[in-house]
Amino acid sequence: MVLSAKDKIVSLSELAALITDGSSLALGGSFLHRGPFALVRELIRQGRRGLELIKQSPGYDIDLLCRAGALRRTRAGIVAMEGNFGLARWYRQAVESGQIELEEHACATITAGLRAAAFGIPFQPCGGLQGSALPALNGWKSCEDPYGSRRDVWLIPPIAPDFAIIHANAVSRSGDARVLGTAHWDRIMTRAAKKVLVVAEELLPDESFRERPELTLVPHFMVEAVAVVPRGAWPGSCWPHYEIDYPAVEAYVAETDSDLSGHLAAAPEARVSANA
Amino acid sequence: MPEERWSGFSYIVTNLARFIRPNEVTFSGVNSNLPMMACLLAKDAYDFYFTYINVAGGVDPHPTKVPISSSDPMLAAGTQSIFSNEDFYDLCTRGGMDLCFLGAAQIDGEGQTNVSVIGDWHAPKVRLPGGGGGAVMLPTARRSCTWRTEHSPRVLVEQLDFVTASGGMHGLVTPIAVFVKRDGRLVLQSWHPEKTLDEVIARTGFPIDGKGATPTPPPTAREQAALAALDLAGAFEEAAHVTLD
Repeated sequence: MVLSAKDKIVSLSELAALITDGSSLALGGSFLHRGPFALVRELIRQGRRGLELIKQSPGYDIDLLCRAGALRRTRAGIVAMEGNFGLARWYRQAVESGQIELEEHACATITAGLRAAAFGIPFQPCGGLQGSALPALNGWKSCEDPYGSRRDVWLIPPIAPDFAIIHANAVSRSGDARVLGTAHWDRIMTRAAKKVLVVAEELLPDESFRERPELTLVPHFMVEAVAVVPRGAWPGSCWPHYEIDYPAVEAYVAETDSDLSGHLAAAPEARVSANA
Repeated sequence: MPEERWSGFSYIVTNLARFIRPNEVTFSGVNSNLPMMACLLAKDAYDFYFTYINVAGGVDPHPTKVPISSSDPMLAAGTQSIFSNEDFYDLCTRGGMDLCFLGAAQIDGEGQTNVSVIGDWHAPKVRLPGGGGGAVMLPTARRSCTWRTEHSPRVLVEQLDFVTASGGMHGLVTPIAVFVKRDGRLVLQSWHPEKTLDEVIARTGFPIDGKGATPTPPPTAREQAALAALDLAGAFEEAAHVTLD
């Protein structure tokens, strides 16, 4: 008899409960696109504190965590709400006031650090960076090519997040995660992190994954737990299911105080549980 | 003729598009609506092929509408492959990126950029978004171009508050001027015909002399038609808030 892998499906609140105060989180997606935003909101509902966010291009997620006072630190390459929304205001205020510590990266140096962790090596050379003030700021070291090309290269130390959390288009019961369209940096995040959590639009039968295994970005054995949350990337997009909910983003940006109760109550996952 | 006049918005988008060359790999990224429109304009207005790749993973995509976010998955609609983030960075660092559009808050005369901070990095007056790909792409892409919707000495500076990315821009477009790199310095190539050379020099914080510069040739009928088709309702022009002052 062939035993199947264990069932990894949990509720959104159970998924968030796996993350303890002070954890470092690599969050998938980019700006307002296919981010695990329902999980970020649930961490805030549960009052999580002292988190670190690792992401090449955070926006809504980091702004929300700063606004809730849940973040202590970030490693990021570019932070904005994007589109016509400009800077992420609560993030900006948190850095300017010293509420959070910023380790400023280029997007590719985050990727290099994640690659070092994923490859199991103590550092990863990264192209470019010549003349930038970022290496000195972060204390990165360079070395000359030991094979004699006389080219110097910057060496980025490993970035091994406690958790990688991605929003997938679909999952299997045992945790295979299917991503459609660009994977952004989700793949390398899931290879670098100690544990992988997945939020997904929908649950599909194993047969569907067997028919198109090349669409599976993360195999089930690498995944700790999964929550199925339709519209969980709201107010961002999840292609091809839905686009950015611009009125919702405008309403979020227009709010001037730190009280998130209205915004959290308007989220799809909150409306579903209120109706249940 | 009034139809040949530039607006600040059409000036930036169209002159960014004029940096695109045949058969080259050209990239536009996050937070980059004006270069996104420049790439789409060039696909429509110019009689040559170039490879347009973008941060949404699209390779020569066929978007059915122009998205408000320049990283929107719409920019991968109709693509025949997904060329994702890790791929295009690696392409750039190994020398395969011909033209990169990269954002900037401040630009100096060598075409270096600050996208990090106004004031001291450790005690910021304004914390800016950060450079994203800049620090890695600017020194490794064959050419990079940037744009600003403001032309002033606080944006085009002698001394950056912080060097986020070095390596030097090949081109820079503002609402009133086009700069290009010559002997390692950004020099004025042309200026908005409704402005004077003296005004452009006065509003540029790094030294330029304007030698060899001419008024910018007006938009062609095809450039105008292509931009009009991309911004039918004028929403992008309105959101960009570009003035000549």
